[in-house]
Amino acid sequence: MASHLDTNVIPPSRQREAPRSGLTWIGQSIKRVEDPRILTGNGGYIDDLKMPGMAHAAMVSSPHAHARIVSIDTSKAKALPGVIGVYTGEDLAGVVDPCPSFASPPVPQHAMAMGKVRHVGEVVAAVVADDRYIAEDAAELIEVEWEVLPANVDIEASAAATGDALLHPDDRETNVALDESFSFGPVDDDFAAADRIVKRRLRWHRSSAQAIETSGVVAHYDAYKGGYTIHCNSNFYNFIPFVIGGSLRVSPGELRIVPVLTGGSFGSKVFSHKIIILTGGLSRLAGVPVKYIEDRLEHFTNSDSHGSDRLYDAELAVDKDGTFRSMRFTVMDDYGAYLQFGVGTHGNAMAQVTGPYTIGSFGMRVMAVLTNKCQQGPYRGFGSEVTNWVMERMVDAAADELDRDPVELREQNMIQPDAFPYMIPTGNIYDSGNFQKVLAEAKQMFDFDDWRAKAKAMRAEGRCVGIGLATCMERSVYGPTEWWSLNNKATPGFTLTSTPEGITARIDPSGKLFITLHSPMVGNSPETVVTQILAERLTVAPEDIVFNYSDSQTGFNGVGPQGSRFTAMIAGACVSASIKLEERLKRFGAHMLQRRPEDVELRNGMVAVRGLKDQEKSFAEIALTSSFFRLSFPDGEEFDSGLETTAVYDHPLSTDPDEDRKHLGIFYPIVGHICHIVAVEVDPGTGKVEMLDYAAVHDNGTIVNPRTLAGQVWGGTANGIGTTLSEQFHYNADGQFTNPNFAEFAMPTANEMPRNFNLGHVETPSPYTEYGIKGGGEGGRLGAPSALTSAIENALQDYGVKIAALPVTPPVLRGLIRDAEKIAAE
Amino acid sequence: MKPSAFEYECPTDLNAVLGFLGEGTDTRILAGGQSLVPMMNYRLVAPERLIDINRVHGLDYVREEDGQIAIGALARHGDIKASALIITHLPIMAEAYGWIAHAAVRNRGTLCGNLCHADPASEMPALMQVLGATMVVSKSAGSRHVPASEFFLGTYETVVGADEMLTEVRIPIPEAGTGWAFQEVAMRKGDYAWCTVAATLRVTEGRITAPRIAVAGLADHAYRLEAQEAELDGAAPGADVFQTVAHAAAEAADPPDTEQISADYRRDLLRTLLPRVLRAAVGRAGH
Amino acid sequence: MMKTAISFTVNGRTREAFVPPRMLLSDFIRHELELPGTHVGCEHGVCGSCNVIVDGKAVRSCLMFAVQADGSDITTVEGYSTDAGLHPIQQAFWEEHGLQCGFCTPGMLAAAKELLAANPDPSDEDIREAISGNLCRCTGYEFIINAIRSAGKAMREADIQNTLQPV
Repeated sequence: MASHLDTNVIPPSRQREAPRSGLTWIGQSIKRVEDPRILTGNGGYIDDLKMPGMAHAAMVSSPHAHARIVSIDTSKAKALPGVIGVYTGEDLAGVVDPCPSFASPPVPQHAMAMGKVRHVGEVVAAVVADDRYIAEDAAELIEVEWEVLPANVDIEASAAATGDALLHPDDRETNVALDESFSFGPVDDDFAAADRIVKRRLRWHRSSAQAIETSGVVAHYDAYKGGYTIHCNSNFYNFIPFVIGGSLRVSPGELRIVPVLTGGSFGSKVFSHKIIILTGGLSRLAGVPVKYIEDRLEHFTNSDSHGSDRLYDAELAVDKDGTFRSMRFTVMDDYGAYLQFGVGTHGNAMAQVTGPYTIGSFGMRVMAVLTNKCQQGPYRGFGSEVTNWVMERMVDAAADELDRDPVELREQNMIQPDAFPYMIPTGNIYDSGNFQKVLAEAKQMFDFDDWRAKAKAMRAEGRCVGIGLATCMERSVYGPTEWWSLNNKATPGFTLTSTPEGITARIDPSGKLFITLHSPMVGNSPETVVTQILAERLTVAPEDIVFNYSDSQTGFNGVGPQGSRFTAMIAGACVSASIKLEERLKRFGAHMLQRRPEDVELRNGMVAVRGLKDQEKSFAEIALTSSFFRLSFPDGEEFDSGLETTAVYDHPLSTDPDEDRKHLGIFYPIVGHICHIVAVEVDPGTGKVEMLDYAAVHDNGTIVNPRTLAGQVWGGTANGIGTTLSEQFHYNADGQFTNPNFAEFAMPTANEMPRNFNLGHVETPSPYTEYGIKGGGEGGRLGAPSALTSAIENALQDYGVKIAALPVTPPVLRGLIRDAEKIAAE
Repeated sequence: MKPSAFEYECPTDLNAVLGFLGEGTDTRILAGGQSLVPMMNYRLVAPERLIDINRVHGLDYVREEDGQIAIGALARHGDIKASALIITHLPIMAEAYGWIAHAAVRNRGTLCGNLCHADPASEMPALMQVLGATMVVSKSAGSRHVPASEFFLGTYETVVGADEMLTEVRIPIPEAGTGWAFQEVAMRKGDYAWCTVAATLRVTEGRITAPRIAVAGLADHAYRLEAQEAELDGAAPGADVFQTVAHAAAEAADPPDTEQISADYRRDLLRTLLPRVLRAAVGRAGH
Repeated sequence: MMKTAISFTVNGRTREAFVPPRMLLSDFIRHELELPGTHVGCEHGVCGSCNVIVDGKAVRSCLMFAVQADGSDITTVEGYSTDAGLHPIQQAFWEEHGLQCGFCTPGMLAAAKELLAANPDPSDEDIREAISGNLCRCTGYEFIINAIRSAGKAMREADIQNTLQPV
């Protein structure tokens, strides 16, 4: 182990339920508990909610990328019948404070622009009216006088901007919000000693999740009834409501945030604080409940959820024999106009930046550049999808330069199965894995050698057919140090180290197990997962489990679905709750059976005497007796009425970053591994890519529900295909967002998906989580771009086309081929 | 994204429709609404009055008349696509419809509405020109017949006046043995195409005759490749001549040049698709 | 604002209403009829979440005005299931994991219903084509295709007539 990691000691495992075979419920593809109400139209999404006296908001959005607001005339709008109120940023600032920010130092953001706008779509005024139609009529009548400022669109140009082109001149004399360099291990020495340095400039363009439901809020402020009641489709409401309360100028006691079923997030609705503060403030100003649901245009232009937009200058230090020694890069990231999560997306990438390979050291300079675009937020991968692609691009580049088979080169440098837990140069560990097994299964599933021969034969016939293979990491169960560990160590900001997940469980006198979850459902399967784990651990029947969701006042710690954490974390909470409930069930049950607690066990929803068949009491009998017949039990608080417990599970394995940032500590240690292999054919005359065959093998540890996991993998792969082939946000030189709609931002339809998609699983259980579960919510998007890019390049090998930027749309790819044809002709 | 208010009329006979159109207010016809309503939802257009023609009797026909297929103003894409007359006599239209939008949009959208919308990337304007369609443009005072090649003036612009309506399209049934082909390239199947190429031709004694080629996506409206048709007329089909006309057509094209879709790319698509289309059309031609 | 009287049938029930001409059918169904199962995803006719069945055909309800539904027969997702249980297509979506967040699902169900009414034994390509006008961001479509294939099979085997009218 390199010396810079000596202080990073791996804590002991807190696993209580060992991975094992012969489980009853874990590992079964049971039908989802959540589905019947959703299938019949009764899901209860945010826009389904109505409140008495509810009014509707519409926004006036900035048509300019960067401009001073000279004046706003709302008089005509206010005069329109049906309008309750019209408000500007100054009005809103009368009742709310700026938005919270995890960046340190923060980049100030108001829920409604004050003084100037910094991107197209930023809200400058709002109308509250009887219905949305009237609100939009009134919004059209608002006249804004602008003084247009220079728009920053290009990352490098914005980093050098001065004067009127500065986005936040009151706070900083530069558009570079953060510029930090790191060296994890002897990077310079390793580069000096290497035989060869492979260099590439790589570009990953902006897109976003674009869940089919937009963000929305129904807010009601009533000073005499406890302040704010806010329904929203945010995923993060229960963890840090006080932060939102701060912006709303109320204590948590005057703020009740209520979750609803969310129509897809993929990270985009993790926080959604701006829309909560905006709508809340409007309700307070207007004195009525206000509903504001982003329309699609607003979701594209103002939802604070744009994905990574990065420029890498990357270097891989390799030896002649193909050994990877070190990697380093400079990355500039176009964060847009604000920086809500700091450079968390780069902190995240540090979890697995060196991929599945033995690379001894790693160095980085990261620059967060502000531009006149909507700011970034999380999107499936949270930055690691980009570094996975960068790593795999660099490996392919090294194979090219060394004239090596790219798959053999990967195998040569892969971490061996006996090396776990394996600590990478940044300090994060990979808890477990068998990358060779995943690769072997994927190759077998794909019929890899046969396909290679076929592709070669097809190329000989003049067809552009190629195969791409990527071996990538899928970190899961995030620790929150990723949010701040790359901040300047003198100003680290809010140095959060907790990401707990809680659960409340109660067996009512009828024997039903009532579960309260403290995180919402966003398209994941929280109820199904909890059902399977509790049925396993407590031997209850799945149909006897009933679900409820808490709000921010009745709830307990819940960080929610993000960072592929929820399944592993809620499993931990379920085990904790089960241990507590089991103890109480046994105490009451043993007393009723006139036995000692140590003589009884849980069996098929009963407390039963070990080794005896008929000596048992059902949970319902025990719950009934413990709830209503207090005198049947001895005095003492251990026999207090009822069977109820609350449990919390903390991150299973994390450590603090090193004070000098020689390493970042352990923060994302539960790692999965994925191998994607794809065969493509490119039509060189049009640049169209057809996927001929696709195999994906994922190792997500112990699988709770194979079918719901497969759904996540397929969905993530579809996202990754879109990211690679068709999805990009286009901004022109004036900062106009030119394709903010579903007709031109081309997300894949069923027709764009591969016809032969084969999915396999390897199960290498985690030694740290309950039952060995790992997260698996992001893997598809973490693997597909690398494999697909590689396949396209392979298909076009006779042209010598190299792909250094995504997406590689048909016009882009045809352009690369045209350039290659020109060179060949000269 | 909600439309502005408008006055709504829903007449049941064509004369009433034409009467409303003659009144001179800012009026739009609402047929399938699949292009108009999205623009209204975005408030890109806000007509004062909509004349909903969906309840006008007898406008939804696809019928054979005097060696022509007549398609009424309310005939919807989905019904046209599935029509036995179209499948039998105009298979190129049935084929092209597989690439145009999606089922739910085709269920409402009308051919005549699509032609009047005149999106430069739309496929049907090219097809109408290849097929030599005649457009029946009506107003209260009477109707005029406009050849498809003269109907389209520019982006979202046709010869149809504010007081007029496209009431029918008449498409001559191609002679037996006519070969045909249609190809396009779009980001996704169903999207507006970056380049569409459609052709019909005959092969007589080893020579191409009566070639008709039209393209869309390469200018502000679809157009015929008349020079290339002349070049092909009488030529023996073959890869060389197809390449030659494709290069000539691409050189002659002056497509829009945008940041995402360059003029070079659209020319490349024409250069690639035209030989494929000609080869396929020749393959289908009766000998 | 001028309102127009309309009458129509929704999920087998005859209803009457006064609507302003500009009210989108999607808003009318959701907020006036209080049938929230019809979802609004884009309001420009691309995502398909708002698909409902009007007079036997799946249509984008965000591209129709409510006034145009006068005299029509509308079926929304709330009209698919019965007291006897889920419609076989809903059941197949449940069994085959054809939904995750569920937001696109009502539109997918409408597309599937229309497809299976016309073609009880569709190929996978037929299914892809039929749902290609419906965007789903969760599933990657594979399990939706499985669900529709499986629904077709179940309905053929049980000889269930898939009419496009409410049952």
